[in-house]
Amino acid sequence: MATDRLVDIFALMAQYEREGANEGSLCMVAAEITELSGAGIALVSSAGDMTSLGASDKASTQLMDLEITLREGPCNDACRGEDAVEDIDLVKGEKARWVFYTPPAIAIGARAVFGFPVRIGVVRLGALSLYRESRGALTYEQASNGYLMASVIGRAILAMQAGASGGALAAELEREATFDFAIHQAAGMLAVQGLTDVGDALVLLRTHAFATNTPISTLATRVIARETSFSRENGTWLEETG
Amino acid sequence: MNRESLLVATLVELADSLVDNFDVIDVLTLLSDRCVEAVDVDAAGVMLRSPAGELEYVASSSDTMRVLELFQIQADEGPCVDCMRDGFAIVNRELVAPDARWPRFTPRALELGFQSVHCLPMRLRGQTIGALNLFRTELGFLDDDDVVVAQALADVATIAILQHQSSLAAVKLNEQLSWALNSRIIIEQAKGMVSESMKCDMDDAFAKLRAHARNRNLGLTNVATSVVSGALDPHDLDSPKRKTQH
Repeated sequence: MATDRLVDIFALMAQYEREGANEGSLCMVAAEITELSGAGIALVSSAGDMTSLGASDKASTQLMDLEITLREGPCNDACRGEDAVEDIDLVKGEKARWVFYTPPAIAIGARAVFGFPVRIGVVRLGALSLYRESRGALTYEQASNGYLMASVIGRAILAMQAGASGGALAAELEREATFDFAIHQAAGMLAVQGLTDVGDALVLLRTHAFATNTPISTLATRVIARETSFSRENGTWLEETG
Repeated sequence: MNRESLLVATLVELADSLVDNFDVIDVLTLLSDRCVEAVDVDAAGVMLRSPAGELEYVASSSDTMRVLELFQIQADEGPCVDCMRDGFAIVNRELVAPDARWPRFTPRALELGFQSVHCLPMRLRGQTIGALNLFRTELGFLDDDDVVVAQALADVATIAILQHQSSLAAVKLNEQLSWALNSRIIIEQAKGMVSESMKCDMDDAFAKLRAHARNRNLGLTNVATSVVSGALDPHDLDSPKRKTQH
């Protein structure tokens, strides 16, 4: 089940880290686990601007550059929309969904492209884009792995924003394979306490969990029980004692 | 109301909910609540398999139930885990500790006051996409009619999740499930904001979101999204007429 596939993902991440790949390692894992030719990850700002967070190979880097320059393509659509997007046959693509993107993407060698939104509730973080050198739809398994990878990437982005090391992220994921709903409730509470948005509140929660070496779900439970809170005035955490 | 009329009323209510832009979480919460009334169980909850294959909690009739569902996910054992894996219904399973089948789950369920458990698969053409959990606090058995009724409700829930789906392409089914689960996360984020702003507990926060959505004929996720994005101030939410649970 998913746990096995998560273990596969961690094993691959660890392997690429040993081999010295850094930013690209998540992309390489994404390409490998979905059995596609290559992967790229884009971050999206609240203003809607995309930046690249890495790519697994030269073609993926070029495809990502195209998307950032042209502001269209699977990654752009996945960043802005709610749903995964695909064009399973770029050459045939009579719909001409992406007028400017498609011809150069074909020239780069892509025949099918896929975009998975990376988001956590209302928080849009970016998208995972994947390409294949041959046309065709994803199998159920491949699509599932795409979603699983997008959720791992979502947590990785939050962890990076919280300044965590790769090891800290792997530890969190292994300890808490399922995203505990308490974390989202706590983020909602912190957003009100800190007058910030929920995305920043999720990062805030993580930063404090890492800093105090507390499992994030334990910290979240304390926030909900109103034993721990965040003071906007001093930018500090308050602990209820006794 | 006798069972038959209650069931008819429930099906009508569910059918009414399945109009354009219906809210999946809202429908599944309604389903859990109605199961408790129509099938003579004390708690009900729905779990779905996420596109990534993980088991995820989506709705339940009570907070105790929710705790137990989350425990099954963490412990990776329990009726729902088995039901999802095998695709078979589990009916009238008495809970007695020690339990070789669920060594961690059973003591926890007993601790929370449950004595027997049933779990029905939510199936779609050979795939199990989720499960409906039913718990009783007293011994006593579901008869065949009860099981038929509960399975009918589970089937309605399955249709609810897949309703907007035009084809059964891999990405589509994954998408529906992914959407339902993300919707649940949005609601949890909104509950946190309402709870903090209004100094109420999570149950009351959920009741407020639900009441506001109902009164204005809006989707629950829709209202939750407005709260989280800052467009709707938690202080402006309608108050529920009576205390409801989730």
